[in-house]
Amino acid sequence: MKILVPVKQVAVLDEDFELRDDGKDVDVDFLDYELNEWDDFAWEAALQLQEQHGDVIEIVPMTVGPEEASDSLLKCLGKGGERAIRVWHESLQDSDPAVIARVIAKVAQREQADMVFAGTLASDHGYSQTGVSVAAELNWAKAAVVSKVNISPNASCIQVNRELEGGLEESIEVQCPAVLTIQLGINEPRYASLRGIKQAKAKPIEVLSHTDLGLQDSDVGIAGSRSRVRRMVMPAKGQAELIEGSVVEQAARLADIVKQLRGGV
Amino acid sequence: MARDPKHDILFEPIPIGPKILKNRFYQVPHCIGAGSDKPGFQAAHRSIKAEGGWGGVNTEYLSIHPESDDTHRLSARLWDEGDVRNLRAMTDAVHAHDALCGVEMWYGGSHAPNMESRCTPRGPSQYASEFETMTYCKEMDLDDINMVQGYYVDAAKRARDAGFDIVYVYGAHSYLPLQFLSPYYNKRTDGYGGSLANRARFWIETLEKVKRAVGDECAIATRFAVDTLIADAGVEVERDALDFVRMADDYVDVWDVNVGDIAEWGEDAGPSRFYRQGHQLPWQRFIKQVSKKPVLGVGRFTDPEKMAEVIRSGQLDIIGAARPSIADPFLPEKINQGRADDIRTCIGCNVCISRWEIGGPPMICTQNPTAGEEYRRGWHPEKFPKAGSDDSFLVVGAGPAGSECARVLMERGYTVHLVDDQDKIGGSTNSIATLPGLGEWGYHRDYREVQLNKLLKKNKESQVALGAKKLSVDDCLEYGADKVIIATGAHWNTDGTNALTHDPVEGIDTNTPTHLTPEQVLDGSKPIGNKVLILNCDPYYMAPSLAQKLQEAGHKVTIATGVGLGHYMHFTLEAPNMHRMMHELGIEVVGDVWASKAEANRIQLYPIFGDGYRREYRGPGKLPRRENTHFDWHEFDSLVVVTGRSSDNELFTGLKARKDEWAANDIKGVYLIGDAWAPKLMADATFDGQRIAREIELEDPQHPKPYRREVAVWGSPYLPGDKFEIEYDI
Ligand SMILES: Cc1cc2nc3c(=O)[nH]c(=O)nc-3n(C[C@H](O)[C@H](O)[C@H](O)COP(=O)(O)O)c2cc1C
Repeated sequence: MKILVPVKQVAVLDEDFELRDDGKDVDVDFLDYELNEWDDFAWEAALQLQEQHGDVIEIVPMTVGPEEASDSLLKCLGKGGERAIRVWHESLQDSDPAVIARVIAKVAQREQADMVFAGTLASDHGYSQTGVSVAAELNWAKAAVVSKVNISPNASCIQVNRELEGGLEESIEVQCPAVLTIQLGINEPRYASLRGIKQAKAKPIEVLSHTDLGLQDSDVGIAGSRSRVRRMVMPAKGQAELIEGSVVEQAARLADIVKQLRGGV
Repeated sequence: MARDPKHDILFEPIPIGPKILKNRFYQVPHCIGAGSDKPGFQAAHRSIKAEGGWGGVNTEYLSIHPESDDTHRLSARLWDEGDVRNLRAMTDAVHAHDALCGVEMWYGGSHAPNMESRCTPRGPSQYASEFETMTYCKEMDLDDINMVQGYYVDAAKRARDAGFDIVYVYGAHSYLPLQFLSPYYNKRTDGYGGSLANRARFWIETLEKVKRAVGDECAIATRFAVDTLIADAGVEVERDALDFVRMADDYVDVWDVNVGDIAEWGEDAGPSRFYRQGHQLPWQRFIKQVSKKPVLGVGRFTDPEKMAEVIRSGQLDIIGAARPSIADPFLPEKINQGRADDIRTCIGCNVCISRWEIGGPPMICTQNPTAGEEYRRGWHPEKFPKAGSDDSFLVVGAGPAGSECARVLMERGYTVHLVDDQDKIGGSTNSIATLPGLGEWGYHRDYREVQLNKLLKKNKESQVALGAKKLSVDDCLEYGADKVIIATGAHWNTDGTNALTHDPVEGIDTNTPTHLTPEQVLDGSKPIGNKVLILNCDPYYMAPSLAQKLQEAGHKVTIATGVGLGHYMHFTLEAPNMHRMMHELGIEVVGDVWASKAEANRIQLYPIFGDGYRREYRGPGKLPRRENTHFDWHEFDSLVVVTGRSSDNELFTGLKARKDEWAANDIKGVYLIGDAWAPKLMADATFDGQRIAREIELEDPQHPKPYRREVAVWGSPYLPGDKFEIEYDI
C-alpha cells in the first residue's frame, strides 16, 4: 500500500512587508519559507501508519515547487520515508489550486498510490482546495478535516473521524482509494533527529516536469488555471490614539471616546 | 531596521558644562570589581558600553585618598600617579568610541572601614557607621575640612590628567557631602551645622573648589540622594533638597539624582521583587523644577518608550542606568537600530550587586554572562567567533544553561538541536518566575526564546524541540550529534538532605501526602493544608518566596531555618524589605534550628547551638562535647522541604557509563553544564552555557581554559620610579 503525501513550502510574512510591483503577491524579499503546518501533521499520520504496519506501507512525500521547496521534502525525509518527488517547471508559476491538484493527481497515478494524505489547508493562501480537488481529478473518495485515521492494509475501506462544529466528531468509512485532508492536532508531529536530517540528504528526490506527467503547457500555470489573483490589498487599519495631558484632560478625552463609540454626542 | 522616530529624543545631544553628551544614554557610576587594580577589565567593560552607544560612561566610586579606603569592598582609587596610569587605559578605550568618560570622587567618612590603609576617617560629627558598624570617624575641625576639600581638588586634577571628561563630587548613598547636609549625621553647631545653609556649606565649597581647579576642562557632576527616606530625620526632597539644588546649581554642570542611603541602598538599586522601572521618579521629578542644569536619574530604565516619555514629560534630561547597561551594553545601539526586541532586559535580580556586597570579586550578570569577561576571556556581548568545525550538537535541556549554550553555538554558526520536554524554553525559570515579585526574571527566558527563534531562521537544520519526549541514553547515543551537551537541571531534595548534616532528615519523604518539595508547591500537584511549616537550609530566595506565596494564599506559615533566612538576599539588597514583608504578613520565623526527625504532621526541631559549649576529647565514636538535650515538636498540616538541591544528571552518567559506544555512534564528546553539573546561581548556569559554547573546540571543553589574570607583577613598582625590593625602615 502506498501513501502519497503532497506537502507545500508555505510563505511566512515578515513583520513588515511590501507587495510585488504587479500588486498580485507579496515581494519575495519579505518572505520566509517553511513546511505548511497541516502537512507536517499529514506526514506524521503517514509515518505512524507505517510504524504500525511496517513495510507493507510505503510513504512518499511530494511537492510542486522550485529547487528551494526541497527543504520541505528534506524535512519530511528527516523523519522517515526513503524517497521524494518534486515537480517543477517555470510554466507552473502562478498555478491555481486546481492546477496543483491536477499535477498531484498525475503523480498519484504514476506512482499507483492507494491513498493521498494532504493537509486540510495551507497557512499562506488558505484555499482549502488542493486536497479535495485531487480527489475530484482522480475520481476517488475523499474525507476532509480528518482528525483520526484507522487503516488495515489491503482492506477496501478505511475508518476516519472528521471534526464538525461544536466539538462534534463524525466517524465514517471511506472506500479506497481515497484522499484525506488532515486536520491539526490529529497527532503530535515528531522532531527529526540530527541523524535523520543527515540521512535525508542522501535520499533521492526525483525531479519531474509537467510534461513528464503528460500535461501540456496549456494545462498548467496561468493558462491552465480557472481562477487568478487580480491584486492583493491591505485593508485600512483601525486607528490608535495616544491620550496625553493631565489626568483630568486624559479622563475627559477617554469619556469622549466612549461616548462616541456608544453613538452618543 | 530604522530607529522609531518616537525615540529620536533619546538621541539628541545635550551640553554638560564644557562637554557635549552625544545622546541621552548614560552609564552612571557602578562597581564591577575592577577599580584601578585591574585596568584591562576596567577599560574593556566601560568601552564595550561606549561601543554599544552609551554617550557617557563612568568608573565606579573612586577613592580620592587612603583615608577613604573601602577594603574589604573594591572601589577605584585615584591616589597617585600609578592610578592615573592605570585609569588612562579606560579613558583612552572609551574615547575611541566617542563617548564621555567620568569619575565619581568618593570620600566615605565612617562608612569607609580603612582596613587596608589603617587611616582614621573624618566626618561632620563623630558617629558610628550604621553600615560598617565597627567604624567611627573623627569630627572635623576647620583645618580638617580644608584638608579634605584639598583631597577632592588634588584627585580632580589627577582625574583630568588621566583623561576624564566628567568629575563627580559624590554625595549620594550617604557619603561625605551628604553627611554634612543631613541632620542624621551632622550634629555640629558651628558654621557647617544647624541651618540648611550651614549644612550645605561643605558640599558647595567643595564643588566650588573643584570647579575652580578643573571646571574649564571637565564637566562637574554631583550625585545627590534627594531624599534619604527617613522623613525629617534626614534629607527630604521638598524640604532641604530643592533649596540645596538652588544654592549649588551654579557650581554643578549636571545633577545625578537618586534616593536612599548606603545601609539600604536597595532603595536606589531597587530589585524587581519590590520595584518597577522608574520607581524613583516621584522624588527625582522635582529637581528639574528648580535647576537650570541638565538632570539625570536612574530607575532600572530598560524600555525605550518609558525613557522617551520620562524625557518628553520633563522629569529628567538624561537616562541614567547601571543594571540595564550591564545586562545589555548595546541597549542604546539596539534602540537606534529599531531592534528593541533584541535588548537583553535587566531582570532586576541584583546578582551584579551581590558581588560588590560580598567584597568585590568580578561582577557577574544573570542576563549577560559576558559582563566582567570582556577583558579576561575576550568575550564580546554581541559578537562571536565563527564555528571551528562542522560538528553538530544535541543540547538536552532548555533552561538557563542549555538555552544559552544553544544560542551561542548557533550564533557561531553551528547546527544545534535543543531538546526539552517542557513546552517552553526556560527550564526552572518558568516556575521561578511565577513566585511573587519574580515575574521579571522571566525576561531571561524571553531573551533566549526570541534569539533562538531568529537563529532558527538562519539555519534550517537547527531545531528547538519543545514538548519532546524525554530523551533516554539510547536516544542520545543514536541521535546523530557529534557532541552532546547535558543541561538537565536540578531538583529539590525529597528527603531533607541538607548542608548542615549532609544527610537526609529521618522521616522526611515528599512522596507522602503531607510533605512537599518546592516543585510540588509550584505545580499545584498536591493539596496544601492550613498550617504550613517550611524547613529551610537554602541561603537564597526559595523559602521566603514560598512563605509569601502561601501566606498570601491564606495559609498560616512558619519557617524553621538552620541557615538564616534569605541570607544571600542581604547581598542582593532584597533582605530589608523581605524581612519587613515577613513581619507584615505575619510569617513566623524560627531561627538557628535544625530537624532531627519528622512524621506525617509534626517535626522535631533542636537548636543548632544547643548544649555542649565545652569541647573535650572523649574517645572514638563519642561527640567531643555534651549532646544537645533540647528538642521541640512542631505540628503542621503540610511540610515544605527547602533543604537543598541535587543535580539531574542521570542522562550524563548513563552516557558516561557507555563511553565505549560513543565512537560507533560518531559521538566525539558528552558534556555537562549548569545545575546538572552542580546546582548554582542562574547567573552561573547561564555562564556555563556561554562558556562551553565559546570553548567547544578545546580538547577538553568541559573544563574552562585559563583566563587572563591581572595581578601585580613582581619586579615592577606600581608607582612610576618607585622600588619593589623588600626594604626595611631601620
Ligand atoms: C553592581 C553595581 C554597583 C554599583 N556601584 C555604585 C557606585 O560605585 N557608586 C554609585 O554611586 N552607585 C553605584 N551603584 C548604584 C547605581 O549607580 C544606581 O544608582 C543604581 O543601580 C540604580 O540604577 P539602575 O536602576 O539603573 O541600576 C551600583 C549599582 C550596581 C548595580
